[in-house]
Amino acid sequence: MALPKLNLTLKLAALMAAFFLHGPLLAAQMESAQDLMARMSKASRELNYQGLFTYEYRGNLTSIKVSHGVHNGQTFERVLHMDGARREALRRTDNLDCLRTGDMLLRGSAYKINDQNYARLEDHYEFHIKGDGRIANRQVVMVHVLPKDKHRYGYIVAIDKESGLLLQSVLMSHSGKPLERFQFVDINVGMPLAELGFDFGQSEFSEVALDQADCVGADRQMKQSVSNWSVQWLPPGFVIASHNAADESDQESMMYTDGLAVFSVFIDTDDGRSLPAIDANLGATVAVLTKADINNQEYAISVVGEIPRATANQIASAISLTPLEQQ
Amino acid sequence: MSDHQQRLEESLSAFMDGEATDMEMHRLLKEVSENPELRAKWKRFHMISSGIKGDPAATPIDYSSAIASAIDAEPSHRRTVVTALAGSAGRFAIAASVALVAVFGVQQLNSPADNLGAVSGFAGVDQVDDENTGPAIQFPSGFQPVINARTVSAGGNNKSSTYVTPVIEVRQQVKRNYSEAELRAYMNDIMIRHSNHAALNSNQGMLPFARLNDREAAAKRE
Repeated sequence: MALPKLNLTLKLAALMAAFFLHGPLLAAQMESAQDLMARMSKASRELNYQGLFTYEYRGNLTSIKVSHGVHNGQTFERVLHMDGARREALRRTDNLDCLRTGDMLLRGSAYKINDQNYARLEDHYEFHIKGDGRIANRQVVMVHVLPKDKHRYGYIVAIDKESGLLLQSVLMSHSGKPLERFQFVDINVGMPLAELGFDFGQSEFSEVALDQADCVGADRQMKQSVSNWSVQWLPPGFVIASHNAADESDQESMMYTDGLAVFSVFIDTDDGRSLPAIDANLGATVAVLTKADINNQEYAISVVGEIPRATANQIASAISLTPLEQQ
Repeated sequence: MSDHQQRLEESLSAFMDGEATDMEMHRLLKEVSENPELRAKWKRFHMISSGIKGDPAATPIDYSSAIASAIDAEPSHRRTVVTALAGSAGRFAIAASVALVAVFGVQQLNSPADNLGAVSGFAGVDQVDDENTGPAIQFPSGFQPVINARTVSAGGNNKSSTYVTPVIEVRQQVKRNYSEAELRAYMNDIMIRHSNHAALNSNQGMLPFARLNDREAAAKRE
């Protein structure tokens, strides 16, 4: 009878195919996705590297050369856009040991919101190791990062096996469409600092003012300066990562992260400009600008980030002014 | 009753209810020609079914044995080596394709993330459609309507492929008492600040700087 024979062939073929396809996967799972994430968070800061990567969204493609070096506890970074008008950004960070909220979450630690509540990365994302790949002529581990709710997007990331550097990151919408993609095409890792060609004598490096104050303390919390403004609703898992009190231009800003996604809140007094309420997109970044009229003072409140628009709107409408004396 | 027979009868009853799977149906059709007991049951089931439905219960006539003997009387077609080989090859091909489906099935089960789709299918991304739930819009002149942005494709024959600017929608019908240049400058400014923040905090290193591919963004330095 033909039927049992066919059945047997089928079973054997499936079994063999499953074995060959899953063999490499099992090996890769030796290093857990969480370990990989933690390694990635360290590598991008602590290694010397130089490479070319592409950034793609909605059919647009740009290429960028990035150099990153570490010297005496300082990091030096240069970003050069390779097409269009010549654009270059230089940046220096002075405290390599400063652990930021995002790093801490990605390295598997919980951020203390208050005595009862902690924020953890794994409460809001699932991590699936999807096997090996090759990006920029290097062996990588592919990891799918799936959001557990509608307030954040998912990612497909490729992490270099040798160095732990992030070589590809694709932001995925909830319907499974890619929103933007970073991908290295070529990268050198671990060269001496001299080869990176930084001109340390030049004071062209823009020092990031918001840099030093935003380290997470031993109490697993960031020191927060007092603000009149408060965000009454945050998507679960998002915690404060930096806060800049009103500067000379009267702009106050806060930044929140869940370890992967980041959004910023900007509050400006809107004197003279009379900005309209708008929704804006730049690639995968959404910006929502709302207006608030409080005590005859017009404010422009904006939420900017790589988060779903509905979430950005919800955050924007939950920002309110709390007079200091009532706190 | 043998286990096999019992299973066939279950399949038959499922078949009568219209709930048999393809596999069951095939097995039934194959067995019913060789298994007189099953054939008798099949007939009985049909009679009961038409009885319940109130159809005129005509005594069913079994044509099957007559047809079978007529077929037996036909001169058989020549069976050459080629057709024999083709027959078994076809069978193997079916087995192989079923196996492939089975493997894909296994992959799907193991990986909820597979529904993220292929990364290579990047062209024609339509984000605004996904997210744009805002009310009707007024487009100040010079601003890029969202409609245009929707048509951006990997082909790059679209204006916005060569010169990238934020897509800005004004949400309400407001009095035009704001300056477009100021609005654009403000949006650029907060997007730059956000990217700076993100570069420090999102663990993607310098990648967020790539999002700033606007000319005004380049000129600006914090």
